[in-house]
This record gives sequence, structure tokens and C-alpha cells, in this order.
Amino acid sequence: MKALSLEIRDITVGYDRADVLSGVSLTANAGEITCLLGANGSGKSTLARAILGLTPPRSGTIRLDGRDIAGLAVHKIVGLGIGAIPEGRRVFPKLTVTENLRTGAYLVRDAALVATRMTEVFRVFPRLEERAGQLAGTLSGGEQAMLSIGRGLMGSPGLLIIDEPSLGLSPKFVKENFQVIRRINEAGVSVLLVEQNVHQTLEVAHRGYVLSGGRVVAEGTAEELKRHPELVAAYFGNHGG
Amino acid sequence: MDLALIAQHLVNGAMLGVIYALVAVGFTLFFGVLDVIKFSHGDVVMLGAFTALATSAGLVGSGSALPPAIVLAAMFIAAVGGMAVFGALMAKFLVLPLRKAPTLNVLLITLMAGTVIREAVRLFYPQGSNPKPFPRLLPTGAWEIGEFTLRYDSTILLVTGVVAIVLVHLVITRTRLGLAIRAVAQDPETASAMGIPFHGTVLATFAIGSALAALAGVVNGLYYSEVSFNMGLLLGAIGFSAAVIGGLGNVYGAILGGFIFAALQTIGAVLLPIASAYKDVFAFAAVILLMAWKPGGLLAERSADRV
Repeated sequence: MKALSLEIRDITVGYDRADVLSGVSLTANAGEITCLLGANGSGKSTLARAILGLTPPRSGTIRLDGRDIAGLAVHKIVGLGIGAIPEGRRVFPKLTVTENLRTGAYLVRDAALVATRMTEVFRVFPRLEERAGQLAGTLSGGEQAMLSIGRGLMGSPGLLIIDEPSLGLSPKFVKENFQVIRRINEAGVSVLLVEQNVHQTLEVAHRGYVLSGGRVVAEGTAEELKRHPELVAAYFGNHGG
Repeated sequence: MDLALIAQHLVNGAMLGVIYALVAVGFTLFFGVLDVIKFSHGDVVMLGAFTALATSAGLVGSGSALPPAIVLAAMFIAAVGGMAVFGALMAKFLVLPLRKAPTLNVLLITLMAGTVIREAVRLFYPQGSNPKPFPRLLPTGAWEIGEFTLRYDSTILLVTGVVAIVLVHLVITRTRLGLAIRAVAQDPETASAMGIPFHGTVLATFAIGSALAALAGVVNGLYYSEVSFNMGLLLGAIGFSAAVIGGLGNVYGAILGGFIFAALQTIGAVLLPIASAYKDVFAFAAVILLMAWKPGGLLAERSADRV
């Protein structure tokens, strides 16, 4: 699928009564890596959930390549070409590696196409092929991360939403993870990367937004954001060094 | 006790086991995808049996002399198809709207729905408060193997039940729908983020569970040649116990639980010196002991990795 753009205008999102996001606008250009930075509780994961429709916005618009998707059912939104690599990896523990990958291509009815994509995923992560028949719950953290990424690619998305991929992984694997994200993007997929790890994220991202207290407090190209050291320091303290 | 009698008890126990397993699988599937106990499930078993009964009455009453096989096929199709639709409708209008409510409310609403179904059949089915004879449409002969007689009808019913259980296993492990059901059971949110339609999968699960309940009802009717408006109470309690014995949420546990309960009843009927009506007391008492020993069920699973 071709790279998709995302345009969020003035959305308000909340659980029960409290608003977690208020008046947030964001644009992710087609073919770019757009990052969403912010500390814990800044609302960045809520924004990822709002785009997927898991927590639909109360007001505002979310346009995927110009089409308003706010309020659609989650599987409809995903069907328009969004892939998700959820926070905490969230592999299905009692499904095998192969079955997990198959869920990622649930909306693809062509079995041959699913097989081709699985071969591609196995080429990127040979480790997963070795463990193909194993239950995902028995994999190591790093392997589960690979599986979660592979699963997100199985639907051949035009926009991939990646939520905190480096959480809980060893530094070596975090580095590899960012390289994988860059390669996915170079293959023609728009990426919305939700992260706390400021330095490595700004190394791979084209543009970015900083969220704090449910609002956008800074935005710009990665270079511009890097040149705001005091801003970065203010919001992330020592995070990412 | 002679071998022929033991064989007879084994066949009878297996028959009961199949019926209970069919009911228990529904309980466990519903719990798997939605974390709910649907207490009207036993009454769906009964409604399935009465749907079949009404179908046969309608076909025979119309005066056409249809061969028994056709009548039987129509009964199965009407009961299984009708209950599949009915189950999906119940999920859509009773269970899913309460998704955000405490589980206890779902339990209560399905308990009341079960009473409504039961009383409606009693009131609206002609002479519904009396036990109804169920048509004997299966071949009546038997194989004589020494002292032991294996009736054709029991054999056909047993095979039907086992085939249904094997089909459920294949649907769950080999099909796209089965993958969706398992994914939703393990993590509904991530499943929808993968493009799996949550509502559709839940409705399909309730349709499958209710179709199996209908099948259990018809098999039960054909086996005992009698159905009654309150047959679902005991079958529901047994099916639920079987699902819990096996470990709620685990399909194979439910099947195992069904056969264990049938075995307990059969053992109770054989060993107790007093009337075999006490076999249920024996079986349920054994279930209580079993639960005290293995509170999570025999194939207990953590809530995170079900079905």
C-alpha cells in the first residue's frame, strides 16, 4: 500500500469525564517518520488509541489521506491501511508465532499474499522463523518485540503507529529496533512513532511533536526540536541522557 | 457385574458426556470472548429441542407423509439454525450492551432471560407445562453382541455429537474465524487493532455456542424421547459445572468436564444402593469436592491466555 498521510485537527479525547487530550492537532506527512514525544501521562498513548479508534475522540477530526476516520469502528480504520505495534508489544501469548502473524493480516483474504508477507517478515527476522510453531508467550522479550513489529507489517500498512517500541528492551535491542523502523520507513511506509527516548527518536524522525499535559507544546522538524535543548530538558529531565 | 452391563453403562455414559460437553463448550466460549457467564444457556438447549419438536409437529401435521430422515434433517436444521440466530441476537441485544457493566449484571440479565424463555415455552407451546413426547425417528433396531445390545439410535446420536465436537475443534484451530475467536479471547483490544471485528466475532461465537446447545437439546430429546420446558435447568447447571470443572475458558477442559460429569453420574447410578435418582446428588457432591481440590478447574488457565 502507498504511504498514507494523517491530519489531526483539534481533537479532544477522554476516558469517562476527564479529558486526557484537549485541542490537539498533528500532521504526519506521507512517507515520513513523525514522532510524538512526551513524558509518562502526557497523553501520547491516548493519541495513538484515538487514531486507531480504541478511544474515539469526543470532538475534532482525524483524516487519513483526506478521509475522516474519527468515529469509525477500529477494524474499519485498520482496514483503511493503518498498522499498529501496540505499547507493551501485546502479542497473543497462546497463539503460535505464525498465528500471531496471521492476525496481523486478518483483513487480507488472499492466502498466497499472506504467505508471501510472512516470508518477508521471516527474512527480516529469521529468529521468528526458527520459532514459527512456538507459542508467543514462551518467547523472550526481544523476540516478542520482533513478533509485534512483524505482525504490524503483515497487513502491509500505509501508516504504521508504533507505541513505545523501546520500553523494557535492552539498549542493544533498542538500537536495532530503531534501525528496523528506519528501514520500514525507507520501504515506503509513513510512521507515527510514540516514544520517550528523545535522542534516538530524533535521530530517525523527520518531524516531531512534544506533548505535555494533553497539549502540543512544541512541534517542528527533528533538527528544530534538537535545537531546543532547554525544551527537551524541561519535559524529559534526564530521559534519554 | 457382567461385561455386557458395563458396556451398556459405558455407552450411556458416553452419550450423556457428549450432550454435556456440547452444552459446556458454549459456556466456555462465551466466557472466553466476553468474560461473561450466560445463565440462559440451558434454556437455549430446551428452546432448541422445542424448535425441533415444533418443526416435526408442523411437518407431520401438514399431512404429507415425509420420510423420517427428511423430518429429522428439518428438525436439526431448524433447531441448530434457529438457535444460532437466536444466540447472536441475544448477544447483540442483551450481552454486548452490558459490556461496560459489572459481570454480575450480565449474569442477572441472562438469568432473567432464561426464565422468560422457559415460562414463554410453558405458556405458549400447546400444553407446554407437561412433558412432551419427542418423536422417535431414528432406526429402532440394535446390534446384538453377546449379551450386549448396541442400539442404532444411540450409535447415531453418539456419532453426531462426536462429529460436532470435532468440528468445533477444527473451526477453532484451523479457520480464520477460529483465529479471530482465540485472539479476541486473549486480548480483545489488540485483536481489533489487528483488524479483527470485535462485535462480529462475539456474535459468531454466540451463534456457534447456541447452535451447539440446540444440537445438545435435540440429541437429548431423541435419546430420552421426551422433552419438557424445564429440562434446561438441570442441563444448564450440568453444562456450567462441566465447564468449570474443566477450567472455564478452555474448550478442551469443557469437553473433558462434560465427560467427567457423565462418568460421575453413571458411577453414582451403578454404585449407589438406593434409587438411581440420587445419581445427580452424587455427581454434584463430587463436583464440589473436585472444586475444593482444584479451585481453578482441571485445565485451569490464567485469564490472559484463554481458549
